[in-house]
This record gives sequence, structure tokens and C-alpha cells, in this order.
Amino acid sequence: MGSCTKCGNPNVIIKRKASGQALCKDCFIESIEKKVKQTIKKEKFLEKGDKVLVALSGGKDSVVTLEILNSYVKRHIIELCAVTIDEGIAGYREEGVEIAKAHAERLGIPHKVVSFKESFGIDLDEIMKTEGHRGSCTYCGVFRRWIINRAAREFGATKIATGHNLDDETQAILMNYLEGNMENLASIGPKTESNSEMFTVKIKPLREIPEKEIGLYALAKGLDIHLAGCPYAQESFRMEVSNILKDLTKDHPTIMYSTLRGFDKIRPALRQELQHDYEYDRCERCGEPSSNRLCRACTFLEELGK
Amino acid sequence: MSFTLKIKDKVEERDFDGEVTIKDLLDEMDLSSETRVTKKNGEIVIDEETIEDGDEIEFIQIIYGG
Repeated sequence: MGSCTKCGNPNVIIKRKASGQALCKDCFIESIEKKVKQTIKKEKFLEKGDKVLVALSGGKDSVVTLEILNSYVKRHIIELCAVTIDEGIAGYREEGVEIAKAHAERLGIPHKVVSFKESFGIDLDEIMKTEGHRGSCTYCGVFRRWIINRAAREFGATKIATGHNLDDETQAILMNYLEGNMENLASIGPKTESNSEMFTVKIKPLREIPEKEIGLYALAKGLDIHLAGCPYAQESFRMEVSNILKDLTKDHPTIMYSTLRGFDKIRPALRQELQHDYEYDRCERCGEPSSNRLCRACTFLEELGK
Repeated sequence: MSFTLKIKDKVEERDFDGEVTIKDLLDEMDLSSETRVTKKNGEIVIDEETIEDGDEIEFIQIIYGG
């Protein structure tokens, strides 16, 4: 079966088809941490003195993001804080919230749990019972972004770190390209910066790590993670694209890496050609930044009679 | 020969003959190794690992759709 390519340990936990490497637990953990730190350095994600808010669901991606960024706290480079969003999905969200709380406490990181109910007066389970709703993921994405942006300002955070991984990034690139959403395509990137100071810069430290390796890292490190699928997950275009990429990866193991690398090369040209500098003002209802009279969250809330 | 298979809270005893790998078991159960990590007797193993009499095999799903 072979032994670790780096140290010769016979207990291998991964064989990387893309590189031909076989790695034992310790060398695998080290390789992930090294890669993430390389991404952080290459993309200039962190500056000394940054206060980084981690959007912490308790799932593998956010827990690993928190864990690796915490090594910068230990070296007194940054401060961390975390927010967990309780969408109000009975029987699903509770465990993730508890896991997130435990990680924040273990690492001594300031943490708050914010619910849809307290923020908007309605939770996701209630929204899904309304007639003519737009689908769970539409509300979830918009409402979560609203809460995260606000939490970042409340914490005084200078950056927001999310757990987006290589699979997420390549799915987004392919989806937007296939659907012809070129403005959305141009907005994908390692850092999400707005010309408005009302938005905090978002960074994606795990964007070059495949999703499976993030799960493997969490298990190899013995990190408690929320392992469950959202009950509202449904067949979506993203899922179809994800399946295509997973199928392709079997015989072409470097396909996601090359998709991201190629995209990163054309991204500056795309941005120059396609990205608009929206004029932001404040949403009339909630005061959050918006390019329209109402922000998307408030548009949805008005539709829901809230 | 037999081994214990654990998937979430479900535990079952399974019989086998000859050399069986984790990959053989995943294929037989029509499960994807792209979304799972396997532990054998509590340690993470790769798909080529062979199953031996008395082993406890655990499949942990780490990627969910959605």
C-alpha cells in the first residue's frame, strides 16, 4: 500500500491522485496548514493587528478556518472573534450551534450566536411554511450575509473569514460561466472587497483546499464538527455542477486546481471589463448598505409581511 | 470471518470471505469514497486498506449535498 512519501510512516491516511503523494496523519496535517498559510501570504489576507471575524457554523469548513487562523492569534499577529447564525431549523441547527460555542470557548475567542428570529422576527422553518416563498437557500444566503456584516461592525472586525473551499470556488466559477452570469463571475475571488467602507473585507483562507481534505483534516486533528446535511438542501444547479466536477475529478484529479488557477489568471481582465462600482447608500428600512431603496434582506422581509 | 460496520448510529455485523478492501465494501454498498472518510479500529485509513476478521469499520460522511 506504500508509506508516507515525506517521512516513511506506513500508516497512510491519504493518497493524493493529483500529486501522487501518500501522507501519514502528521504530514497530512502539516501539508494542509502549510498550504493555507501559503494562500494567506500570497493573497495578503492578513495584516498585523487585524481583527478577523470567523463565520462559524460548527461545520468542518468553518471549524478548520478558525483552528488554522488561531495559530496567528498564538503568534500575536491577529485577534479572532466569531459569529454563529441560528437560522431556526429545528432538529438540525442546534448541534452546530453547540459545537461552535464549544470551539470558541476552547480557544478563548469572543463569540456570539445571532438568530434569524431575533434579527428578522421570523425563522427559516416559519419562512418555509409561507406560501410562495423563494426557496430556503435564497433567504438563508441573504439573511446570513446581513447578520455577518452587522456582526463584523459590532465586533470592530477588519476582516471576515469564511470557510469557502476549492470545491465551492470551482462550482461557483463553473455555475456562473455556464449560466452566463458574467458580473457574478467577475466578483468571485479570494478577497471580496467593496468600494463601500460599510462592507468589511471577506477572505477565504481555504479556497485552495479540496472539501474532502478539509473534512479529513478535521477528523485527523480530532476536531469536533457538525456532520449533518441541511434538511432544506434540495436538487439545485450547484449540486448538478458539483456532481459533474466530482465525476471529472475521478479521471482528472487536477481539474479543480486548474479551473481555479485559470480563473485567477483571467480574473483581473474580467473585473476591469465587467465589474461595476455600485453607488451604495443606506437601506431605508434597516440602515445597512444598499444600492437600492431597500436592501435584499428588507425586500424579502416586506414580501414576508415582516 | 466478520467485521462490524458503523455508519452514524447504525451498527451491523457483516460476514466476508477472502481479501476485501474498503474500496470493495464501498463499491458493494454503492457509496462514494469522495464524500466519506473511513476509520478502521478508530484510525483513519485509505481505500486500499484490507478488512480483517474482527475489525470495526466506520464510514463517516463528511460532504453533504446542498
